[in-house]
Amino acid sequence: MAEVSLSNVKKDFGAISIIKGIDLEIKDGEFCVFVGPSGCGKSTLLRMIAGLEDITQGALRIGGRDMTKIGPSDRGVAMVFQSYALYPHMTVAENIGFGLRMTGHDKAEIAKRTTAAAKMLQLEPLLDRKPGQLSGGQRQRVAIGRAIVRNPEVFLFDEPLSNLDASLRVQMRGEISRLHQDLGATMIYVTHDQVEAMTMADKIVVLSAGRIEQVGSPLELYHRPKNLFVAGFIGSPKMNFIPVEARPHNGGIEVTLPGGTLLQLAGTLAAAGKMTLGLRPEHATATGAGDAVLPTKVQLAEHLGSETLFFVSLADGSEIAVKADGLAPQRPGGAMQIGFPARACHLFDAAGNAVLNGDLTR
Amino acid sequence: MTRRFKHLPGQIGLWLGVALLVLWSVGPVYWSFVTSITPPNALVSNSLHLWPEAATWQHYAKLFGANSTSQGNEVASVWPQFSRAFANSLITSLAATALVVIIAAFGAWAFVRLQFPGRDVLFVLVVATLAIPAYTVMIPLYRLMISLGLIDTYTGVTLIYVSAFLPLALWLMRSVYQAMPLSLEEAAWLDGASKLRAFVQVVLPLAGPGLVACGILTFLSAWGQFMVPLVFSPTLATKPLTVLIPEFVTRNYVDYGLMNAAGIVAIAPPLLLVMFLNRYLVSGLMAGAGK
Repeated sequence: MAEVSLSNVKKDFGAISIIKGIDLEIKDGEFCVFVGPSGCGKSTLLRMIAGLEDITQGALRIGGRDMTKIGPSDRGVAMVFQSYALYPHMTVAENIGFGLRMTGHDKAEIAKRTTAAAKMLQLEPLLDRKPGQLSGGQRQRVAIGRAIVRNPEVFLFDEPLSNLDASLRVQMRGEISRLHQDLGATMIYVTHDQVEAMTMADKIVVLSAGRIEQVGSPLELYHRPKNLFVAGFIGSPKMNFIPVEARPHNGGIEVTLPGGTLLQLAGTLAAAGKMTLGLRPEHATATGAGDAVLPTKVQLAEHLGSETLFFVSLADGSEIAVKADGLAPQRPGGAMQIGFPARACHLFDAAGNAVLNGDLTR
Repeated sequence: MTRRFKHLPGQIGLWLGVALLVLWSVGPVYWSFVTSITPPNALVSNSLHLWPEAATWQHYAKLFGANSTSQGNEVASVWPQFSRAFANSLITSLAATALVVIIAAFGAWAFVRLQFPGRDVLFVLVVATLAIPAYTVMIPLYRLMISLGLIDTYTGVTLIYVSAFLPLALWLMRSVYQAMPLSLEEAAWLDGASKLRAFVQVVLPLAGPGLVACGILTFLSAWGQFMVPLVFSPTLATKPLTVLIPEFVTRNYVDYGLMNAAGIVAIAPPLLLVMFLNRYLVSGLMAGAGK
């Protein structure tokens, strides 16, 4: 059992507070992704779990044991670094077997387990090479091999795919997911790429400025973001934010859209005021079908073949994105009637917290 | 073909520069060698000979011979003195080199990776000693060495060499470690290695070229030392070649041939060392550590 639990974990660098109190439970065997913009503290948090950074305050438990003050070599965790950090003077086999040598395994055992790990990662023909003779993807595999050979209870990945080209990234993403299924170990994965987070995670932790914004499954975060930050961070292209006036009306909410169009939303609202309506580009239509219809002007069209992404301006000049069919006929400069269902709309109050989430899944 | 001659003026300039540099560095060595194989009477001739008209090994024979003649007289052989001084040079230089490399390897790592109060100030102070001229500390150092009973001992001379050459080696190794990604050590720690094992098994092998450079620098500096042994090695107990060779100048005769033969022999150890260690000075050891 290797659940990871953080309680009120903080990290200061001098007077600067980097991690401002994190409470998090990661279950045994869970694939947990820390995601957030650069500088949000996600890598620092991972390094604190690894033992490479001290924990200023709070407690860390791995598999029920208090690891707050334990050194990195005794935490039973393995880490794959963003830079891979392969030992350049050792062969692939020596790199993979290094951890076993350090923990005093005998030669036969090391050879057996190194070969097994290499087989799993298709590294067998490369065992005698030095890291300098490998391609980026192969180095990445060696770094993963070095981690899995020790059968750690917890795997830590620090942006492991950010140095790879796009196609290799997609391939390695699949391989890491498969590895997780095969090993069943707890994995914590740091990335700034929300696509990686969505595709791999059981649980996503969205971080911003040293705090957790929201924890949940990928679809939970997509459908029910707690605030503007999460709503804007999860999903690609990002959610549109439309400034609106909202007030309670007939047991529901009435929203005035730019240009004066009224939209009725199900839900309750305590007081009227300026709010932000959230609408994902994929939930708007370029055909004008939906509960609300807005006249817009096409500013820009990105033709991706299977779909076209339109950037259109509303009556008040604010711009939103609309994902449409690849065959949609509209062109930049022309008019477009966009429509969307009320059920797809999110509403955020002035503080940025969600008042209402769309309920497309319910 | 055309490419080769495209920048002919530049090429000529380059080769001219290289030729000058070679002449500058090899010229004196060549002249020393020529002098060492020139008969004594030809050494004082009026005409310049770039190669002796009658080459002779007599100076070398005098150096290595069991007995020796000087100006027609049978005199005591210089070989006992020479061999002793040769050994002294080797012992003090090798000891200083070994100590400096070991201390710099660990010390510089501490200056880079360990956090302790006053770390950077201490480092600046150590390096600042490079700016102090040796002559200014000679007298206090002499008194110190007398009080410690270290005059004319291998320990004394070696210690002085270490204190003189360590700052540069520390400086060099510090930049070597600074250029090394911390993630390599972190990976080793996570692989279960202690800090010391990570250092010995991961950092040190990669710092090899830096250590070799430190070793070469220190050995060459120690081998060529004159002032320090002149003061601190008064007798053949520790007197090195650099101090012995000028003593071939006697009151009424300067034995140029013998001095230069001894000089040529004295070049051999550093030359062999550099030729042997040169292959470890390769760059690109770090290839493949990262992306």
